[in-house]
Amino acid sequence: MFDWLEWFTHMENSKPFALVVLFVGFVGVIIYLFTGKKRGERLESYKNMPFLDDDDDLQPPRTDKGEKNE
Amino acid sequence: MIKHETIETNSGLLLVLTLVAIGIGGLVEIVPLFHINDTIEKVVDENGKQMVRPYTPLEQAGRDIYTREGCYLCHSQQIRPFRDEALRYGHYSLAAESQYDHPFQWGSMRRGPDLARVGGKYSDAWHVAHLNGPRSVVPESIMPNYPWLLKTELNYADYADNLSALRSVGVPYSVNETEYQANVEKFGEDVAPSLVIADAVKNLEAQAKSGNYDGNASSISEMDALVAYLQVLGTMVDFSKFDEGHFIKYR
Amino acid sequence: MAQTGVAVSTEQYNYDIIKKFSIMAVFWGVCGMSTGVYIASELAWPFLNFDTAQITFGRLRPVHTTLVIFGFGGNALFATSYYVVQRTCQTRLAGGNGLAMFTLIGWNIAILAGALTYPMGITQSREYAEFEWPIDLLIAAVWMVYLWIYTMTLRNRTQAHIYVANWFYLGFILATALLHTFNNLAMPVSLTKSYSLFAGVQDAMTQWWYGHNAVGFFLTAAFLGMMYYFVPKQAGRPVYSYRLSVLHFWALSFMYMWVGGHHLHWTSLPDWTSSLAASFSIILLIPSWGGMINGIMTLSGAWDKLRSDPIMMFMITALSFYGMSTFEGPMMALKSVNALSHYTDWTVGHVHSGALGWVAMISFGSFYHMIPRLYGMKKMYSEKLIYVHFFLATIGVVVYITALWVSGIGQGLMLRAFDEYGNLAYTFIESVSFMHLPLATRALGGAFFVTGMITMAYNVYKTIQMAKDVDQAGVNNIASKMAKA
Repeated sequence: MFDWLEWFTHMENSKPFALVVLFVGFVGVIIYLFTGKKRGERLESYKNMPFLDDDDDLQPPRTDKGEKNE
Repeated sequence: MIKHETIETNSGLLLVLTLVAIGIGGLVEIVPLFHINDTIEKVVDENGKQMVRPYTPLEQAGRDIYTREGCYLCHSQQIRPFRDEALRYGHYSLAAESQYDHPFQWGSMRRGPDLARVGGKYSDAWHVAHLNGPRSVVPESIMPNYPWLLKTELNYADYADNLSALRSVGVPYSVNETEYQANVEKFGEDVAPSLVIADAVKNLEAQAKSGNYDGNASSISEMDALVAYLQVLGTMVDFSKFDEGHFIKYR
Repeated sequence: MAQTGVAVSTEQYNYDIIKKFSIMAVFWGVCGMSTGVYIASELAWPFLNFDTAQITFGRLRPVHTTLVIFGFGGNALFATSYYVVQRTCQTRLAGGNGLAMFTLIGWNIAILAGALTYPMGITQSREYAEFEWPIDLLIAAVWMVYLWIYTMTLRNRTQAHIYVANWFYLGFILATALLHTFNNLAMPVSLTKSYSLFAGVQDAMTQWWYGHNAVGFFLTAAFLGMMYYFVPKQAGRPVYSYRLSVLHFWALSFMYMWVGGHHLHWTSLPDWTSSLAASFSIILLIPSWGGMINGIMTLSGAWDKLRSDPIMMFMITALSFYGMSTFEGPMMALKSVNALSHYTDWTVGHVHSGALGWVAMISFGSFYHMIPRLYGMKKMYSEKLIYVHFFLATIGVVVYITALWVSGIGQGLMLRAFDEYGNLAYTFIESVSFMHLPLATRALGGAFFVTGMITMAYNVYKTIQMAKDVDQAGVNNIASKMAKA
């Protein structure tokens, strides 16, 4: 039943097999990422996340100590 | 259609997929080493006995000092199959030769020369002088002096515990008659007694006394143990017994 | 009235723990790098070992590596990861103050214990994993809590998406957990002595699988997380390409784990393992450079900042060193190059061009960005001192790696040289004599770098003092107003 697994134990089979699988996966990811204008724009829109916390620089947070001293 | 958004909005999924991505490489590289039989060469003499044996208690105690002092940070114990290394150090290292090394001490750096086959190259007296003050024998050496090795008595009263710990990680030190007989079968009658855990202290004292490595027979110093270890490095396999290309098929 | 607004923003994030981790990072940085200069000097002038067991090179070298990797690097990663995860998820750390404090105290006790036990000769003798087993257990406990805090904070986020910097941090935490566990399996004899579970070939492979991935995930992936947050923040513009960062993350996570075997070329390790590792090392160049380009191009359109902003100079120099060492690395993983470079100072130089050039510099840049914000200041005490630090650090790295190229390649060539009769042209000790000058120069390069680090420590100290003064002034102001009223 599991005899077909034998095939993978031979280096001359498993090496090209792994190469093909990995390469197809890699190309798949690249195609997914870099084709489709809409998908591209959608994905790129997430890069603004670090700028969503608006208190940066404008309203400097105070130290806990300063608060207690009041 | 799977979207990358599904992953980056789900912390659990991100965690699992990351684990899968990082897990595969380690599995493929390490797991087979524990199953493939020819990872470690078979090195037997004409009587069918294993040439590579576990260390005697004194040698192992010396090895503990070697690891304690961090010798591996400047000295490798792994000779590569190159012409210059063959001329300088000897036959390239076999996997079999470090099979009882917990931990391995192949090292990653040669601020000093390789030590895989340093055993028998120099006299005991040379080693003692060199360890005590390397520049007394090699003026350009950058090795630190190790004067405390001669002055410090070896602490070996409980050394059987160390061998027991090594036994539990797979080194064939013996605790009973069956294991002893197995060692006789595997390593021969002259080696098997040195692997009996109950005799650890007795064997250690006997070897230190007969070897008298540090030239001071009245006590057993750390120097005795370390020199005993250095002198056995790389000497277990007798390469004259094998054809020149014998080990190539294992590479 | 202004005070109420301030109180709310204090509540928003847990900054207190980040401050403590940052200070510890700077502290261990100064200690660890100074130790590095000392042991480098021991190699050039061996009398510095002073016949004292506790300070010989073999015992101090693990102190140096532990303090800089886990003390400086580790605390910097705790600090920045807690900062980034809170700010990009817009939520406080999960588990409250107590659990975060446990990671701070546990981690730093482990570092201190390591630094105290190695000189006593208590070590597992595994490079970069020298901690004996009781300390390993403490680290494992800290790490589990860290993982829990991190993932729970991600779960509690108020943002829909998890920002890319957090993926890298998460990958680093997971990988480190795996590596630490498997590489430190050992059988204890006593509290201070243990024997590793594996032996010989298997032990070597496990150790270098750990050793290289400590570089790959601890010193690379995690600091890339730092890069993906702090470079865009400092540049004031989003990362160059989000899609490139997706590719960068998955390719890097998948490939790094394969490459450890390249530390064991030409050894008793079966050939297929090290060949496989070499192939993956070379492919790894692609995601590494993808990431570098992504970081550097973030600055496109704002290149003038490279002239005017010393923090940006740190970050871009860091990325350049990242690019350089991720090119040098795959090259050294080629078996033919490795035959020369392995066992020589070339490897040490390579590690430091990554560790000083990339890891330390990106941390310096991130700290100079983050520390004023933690203390509610607009910027560091002195911008001039940041410039001074930048130049000291850059000169230091360049001197350091150049010296070790000379030493490493020189020794490699000498040891493989033959004379006209086919005999070895040089003895080993001749190569050691040759290395004296480069090794002394290397110590000098290291000294430059440490001086920079001390400059930073002073600057951070003054910034914190300044923040305290501002606080005090505010309090006095209110007090006097209330007294008048």
